[in-house]
Amino acid sequence: MEIDVLELSDRSAKFILSNTTAAFANGLRRAMLADVPTLAIDDVNVYNNTSVLYDEQLALRLGLIPLVTSFDDFVPQDECTCEDGCPACVISLTLSVEATADEGRMVYSGDIVSSDPKVQPAEMNIPIIELKVNQKVVLEGVAHMGYGRDHAKWQAGVACGYKNLPIITIDGCDRCGACVNVCPRNILCLGDKFVEVSDESRLNCSLCGLCQDACEIDAISVTENESSFIFTMESDGSYTVNELIINAVNTIKRKASSMGDILSTL
Amino acid sequence: MFPVRCFTCGKVIASSWEAYKQRIADGEDKAAVLDDLGITRYCCRRIFLAHVELVDIMAPYQ
Ligand code: SF4
Ligand code: SF4
Ligand SMILES: [Zn+2]
Ligand SMILES: [Zn+2]
Repeated sequence: MEIDVLELSDRSAKFILSNTTAAFANGLRRAMLADVPTLAIDDVNVYNNTSVLYDEQLALRLGLIPLVTSFDDFVPQDECTCEDGCPACVISLTLSVEATADEGRMVYSGDIVSSDPKVQPAEMNIPIIELKVNQKVVLEGVAHMGYGRDHAKWQAGVACGYKNLPIITIDGCDRCGACVNVCPRNILCLGDKFVEVSDESRLNCSLCGLCQDACEIDAISVTENESSFIFTMESDGSYTVNELIINAVNTIKRKASSMGDILSTL
Repeated sequence: MFPVRCFTCGKVIASSWEAYKQRIADGEDKAAVLDDLGITRYCCRRIFLAHVELVDIMAPYQ
């Protein structure tokens, strides 16, 4: 298996995964979406809420705010060694904001005060609730580690997906230009003798097949390379994409080895 | 209130809402603003285009 990185930043990545199977690419995708635990507020004690939102709606909004997570420092509560809550599995965050008598105020994720300096909202400017004059919210949110398969608030990977690498072959082209006009992604261009595609724009091909249909002499064909995938992914901010990929691969490894252990005892 | 995350893909979009609202009010083109804010998928874009703010309507009945 080979990996060819096209784009990489803290929050998003695009790479080509080659010489592998669709099953592996999909396993990686699913691990990023569902099997990498993250922190999210999932218990809320509301002491005062006079805002326009019900407590439940407020709690949902709080839960969906991504919290920066360190994979090594925290564990899901039911996998923790403690009896009923310790700093490694339960983190308390408080939110206490009151609008004055003359002016309303927007409450942002940055107003959340965390008991652990390592745990902070990944973005500080997420509006939580707009308070009108004299309204206030006072609450405590309890964050736990959890898995994306249980609720979207624990989903660290966003829009992870892949497509097969397109292969465009041109043979016997008479330069009529019909395919160039019909391509919705504008990736074909007329060269001196026949139609050309640059390596870079080829990755943009959506495999729609319109160019094949437009060509009356069947000079162009678009097929997929079934062992190579263009993979795109983003992180919600709780991990960098680097950490997310590494953690996803480690979960796959762990699952595979426990599967091996089970099989060897049969 | 504007959804914290996109219903479909899960991207955190609420952090771009106020910038979007401000720039639309200044007369900029919606599509260009969304591109500029990095909201590239149509699942996220439709939430910006279709959002109706209800806080001011509900506030008098608290
Ligand atoms: S398959 Fe579609 S996107 Fe790809 S080159 Fe042909 S017309 Fe363009
Ligand atoms: S439609 Fe066929 S013949 Fe015409 S330019 Fe495209 S590949 Fe060449
Ligand atoms: Zn514990
Ligand atoms: Zn989306």
